[in-house]
Amino acid sequence: MQQRLPIAVCFIAGALMFLQYFSPHPVARAVFVTINDYWQIIFAFTLLVGIAAFVRTNLRQISRGKEAPYRLIGLAGLVLMPVLAVFGGIKIESPFQWAFENMLAPMQATVFSLLAFFVASASFRGFRARNAQAVILLAAALVVLIGRVPITEMISDTFPKITFWVQNYPSMAARRGILIGIGLGSMTTALRVILGIERTYLRGE
Amino acid sequence: MNRLKTRWIIFGGLFLIVTLSYLTNIRFKSVASPEIQKSYDYLDSLPEGSVIMVSFDHEASSLPEIQPLALVVLRHAFKNNLKIIGVSLFAEGTAIGYRLLSQTAREYDKTYGVDYVFLGFKPQQISAILGMGESIAHVFPEDYLGTPTDEIPIMMNIVNYDQIEMVISIADGALAVHWIEYVGGQYHQNIMTALTAAMITTYDPYLASGQLYSVIGGLKGAAEYENLLGQPGGGNRGMLAQTSAHVYVIVLIVIGNILYFRGRKNGKA
Amino acid sequence: MDIGLIIAGVLTLAIYTFLYKDNPIYKAAESLLIGLSIGYALVIYWQTTLVDRLLTPLFARGELLMIIPLVLGLLMFTRFSNRLSWLSRIPIALMIGAGAGVAIPAMLYARTLKQISASVMPLMDGGGFNVEALVVIVGLLSTLAYFYFSREHKGAMGITAKIGTYFLMIFFGATFGYTVMSRMSTFIGRIDFLLTDFLRILA
Repeated sequence: MQQRLPIAVCFIAGALMFLQYFSPHPVARAVFVTINDYWQIIFAFTLLVGIAAFVRTNLRQISRGKEAPYRLIGLAGLVLMPVLAVFGGIKIESPFQWAFENMLAPMQATVFSLLAFFVASASFRGFRARNAQAVILLAAALVVLIGRVPITEMISDTFPKITFWVQNYPSMAARRGILIGIGLGSMTTALRVILGIERTYLRGE
Repeated sequence: MNRLKTRWIIFGGLFLIVTLSYLTNIRFKSVASPEIQKSYDYLDSLPEGSVIMVSFDHEASSLPEIQPLALVVLRHAFKNNLKIIGVSLFAEGTAIGYRLLSQTAREYDKTYGVDYVFLGFKPQQISAILGMGESIAHVFPEDYLGTPTDEIPIMMNIVNYDQIEMVISIADGALAVHWIEYVGGQYHQNIMTALTAAMITTYDPYLASGQLYSVIGGLKGAAEYENLLGQPGGGNRGMLAQTSAHVYVIVLIVIGNILYFRGRKNGKA
Repeated sequence: MDIGLIIAGVLTLAIYTFLYKDNPIYKAAESLLIGLSIGYALVIYWQTTLVDRLLTPLFARGELLMIIPLVLGLLMFTRFSNRLSWLSRIPIALMIGAGAGVAIPAMLYARTLKQISASVMPLMDGGGFNVEALVVIVGLLSTLAYFYFSREHKGAMGITAKIGTYFLMIFFGATFGYTVMSRMSTFIGRIDFLLTDFLRILA
């Protein structure tokens, strides 16, 4: 029961969603819409479960005195946004939107911008022309870095032309190879999941 | 020199170079690359009143790069009196999309509900975009602010993708792939993307196969588009700093290699 | 000056203190960011999905069938119970099954067949010899050979796979170049904020 029921649900949902692709019949469309709705709603619940786990873990850590101030700040942030939304709504001039624009978004963008520094550091430390492959890697990176700035464009339009050629043919060919490989792999895995051969999602409680 | 000191020198150098370049406030004229021209020409060719869907498929982390990209698309669309349906498939893209759409609409004196609408967010991207192929109002029964979708004037003649000329996904990740593979594949919808530079090569095969109409890529792409629009903005402002940062990285690569080969030579000797 | 800009500026600088080293100011800002992100997502999911897709149809419009996704969603919470956690596999199975079902045609048509056709077609049409189309075909086949592990990479297969690595390096190199471009753009955006909006050095 604990294994068979989920496998049966997976098979039915998977088979129906696969077959609907080929049918414009109203019943097929209705089945598709229904499963699609359930899929989306259940997905929203997964976030709630995640939040519950986050709160539980943080409260436990606070009670043990582990990094309590930081964890309290985290929980305060979590509570702040819903409180603002409940009392002020989510319109453009609401405190909720204000907190997003002046607190969340600037911090999120700044954390991400730290990567610029680590990319620069990695370029210095890791980008070495050790062998033929590394030389090609280096050359392709330089072609993009040189070819996609306005100064080189002003010197000659050959620079961007070379960049686009490398990007559109040899680079694209390799990416296409990866893409087809992933496509075939995803298709096989999807089929194995629907048929109940692939059951890794049943592991873990 | 220890590793930590080298790191601080590299970090400090980048900070200084970008800041100083930005302060000089020198502007370049970016020539439109073929992809940007193609995107511009397409939006320019649409008759007034055509409906496009703009999907804010990105997070707040990429906002500095995404914002100029989103603005050129929205400005061009509003300038040409196109109607915009805004959606978001990333939670964080929701508040950003809502802000950018509202702000640009004000610039062009557009009316909410008539010239544009923001339907908001739906989770599970594949499910959401496939669902809209059947009925947009079913997936979004209400807009972002809670107005029933079927009461909004712009939505009254819109059932699904059949009434939408183009979906433009403003993305910082692989989300636009879902638009291409699921909506392009199953519903034969035209797809265009405005992407962060890091994602450009990921989409090249779709562009080459024609599954993706065109790409507006990175801050450079935004700068080129701004010039076509005749409205220089964030893209153009950043081009000197962008160039300096590239030169800085190239210099770091060169120095790193010189030190590497010198070390190897000394090691062998 | 707008209080929002001051807060945004201070928080931005707090995050940048990490460049010196990990420190309490950064950690506090990071914790706040995590909390705000989760709180924000909760509001958005609640407002735009749970209310308008589930609660309104079920309680305001009396669509009783919506009890099914409600129950399936609530089953996710059984993950917190050792005895009942297996029940959470049912909604997970539905999501995974649905995802797998729609993925098969998309992967077959949009990702595989379309890409193969786009590689072959340029060789066929146009009449003349097309260098670019040849580069693409060689690149594609050699990359696929590199990822084909059912045969040992020796002889002709080994050479083809080796050529594949060169194409892959071009792709990775170009991607690295664009990634540098992207990360620098993000940083430039933050500098723009600090100099223009926060410090008002640039008008």
